[in-house]
Formats: sequence, structure tokens, C-alpha cells
Amino acid sequence: MSCYRFEDLFIGQREQFQVDVTADMMSAFLQISGDTNPLHVSGEYARLNGFRDRLVYGLLTSSFLSTLVGVYLPGQYCILQQVEAVFLAPVYIGDRLTIAGEITHISNSVRQVEITARVSNQDNKRVVKAKLKVGLLDG
Amino acid sequence: MDVHARLQDIFRDIFDSANLVIDRSTSAKDIEDWDSLSHINLIVAIEKDFKIEFALGELQDLKNVGEMMDLIKKKVEQG
Repeated sequence: MSCYRFEDLFIGQREQFQVDVTADMMSAFLQISGDTNPLHVSGEYARLNGFRDRLVYGLLTSSFLSTLVGVYLPGQYCILQQVEAVFLAPVYIGDRLTIAGEITHISNSVRQVEITARVSNQDNKRVVKAKLKVGLLDG
Repeated sequence: MDVHARLQDIFRDIFDSANLVIDRSTSAKDIEDWDSLSHINLIVAIEKDFKIEFALGELQDLKNVGEMMDLIKKKVEQG
């Protein structure tokens, strides 16, 4: 886990990691959220609606934004304050996602950083774009 | 430079209230959603819009929007 303090951070600082989306993740998200919408549960229903298989939940994909800031940038001293995410393209079970974030703004007065994040799949297609606002704990 | 008008636009955007009116006496107790997180977002929006940076600790003694406007004008003039 990264342990960047506020003073360690700078504009342009980047971190990234990869995740393979599995059927077990989908089952766990279903258990937590209770979202039984057939688009996420039934491959047949998803194909009827023009998708090649059941869709991975947008908020499951976005949950890795929490990992990005909580584990990588800034890591341990992070307190996530705001997330704006846009779902750009479908994600499917078996996709390998790359989650990358870059610091784009730092406010010293309120100890907040803004991070522009991007989630891409194995074909380098952007599936989620997001802006996150993160505070730093004194720890 | 009409600091009041620009600041009011920022307040309206942060608090998502198109008709919000602020004056020199306005403070956090007058706006229901003015909590600690919206305060942070407000400060960052002000810094970006006016292209200024507040120093750590410079904001804690401000009592109302009027004192905020005075500080903004001072920092803009300092360049």
C-alpha cells in the first residue's frame, strides 16, 4: 500500500494497476447490492438487448476507483470525498482492466487533491472515465 | 471585477441552487447544505475561478461571505 503524505504529492503524479473481472466478483456484488437486474444476471437477456454477454455492473468497475485512491494514490492516508464517473463502454466477465489515475489539481488550503482516472480494458478501450476528489488524513 | 457576482455564481454551482442569493453577511448557518465537504469544494472552486491560492490557516477566521470577498480582492490584487 502506498503511504503518500500530502506534501509528497505533485501534479502529474500517476499510479496504475490491473484487475481481471471474474464471475465471483459479479456474485459478490450481487450479494452486496441486491441488484438482480437481468442485464447483469442473464447472458440470454443481455444478448437479446444487443450485448455479447451479461454486463459487469458499472459500480463494480467503478469500485476499483476506491482501490486506486485507497491503496495506490495516495494510499493509506486517503479519504475519498467525491467521485464523478462516466460509464463509456460495456465491461464483461473475463476483461482485464487497467485502472490509472493522475493528480491534476492540488489545493494546499484545504489539503485536497483532484485525480483524473481512467479504466481501460485489454484492448486499451476506455470503459470508465472519472474525476475524484481526495482529502489527506494527518495519520 | 465584480467579485460578488462571480462568487455568487460559484455558490450557486456548488450548492446546486440557481436562485441562491448571497450577501456580505451570509455565512454557513444561512445555507443548509453548507457542510464541511461542500466548504472544501467551495474553497477549491474559488481558488480555480479567481486563480488564487489561500494559505493554510488563512480561511479559519473568516466569519462571513463579506470577509471572504475582501480576502479574494486582496489576493487578486497581490497577483
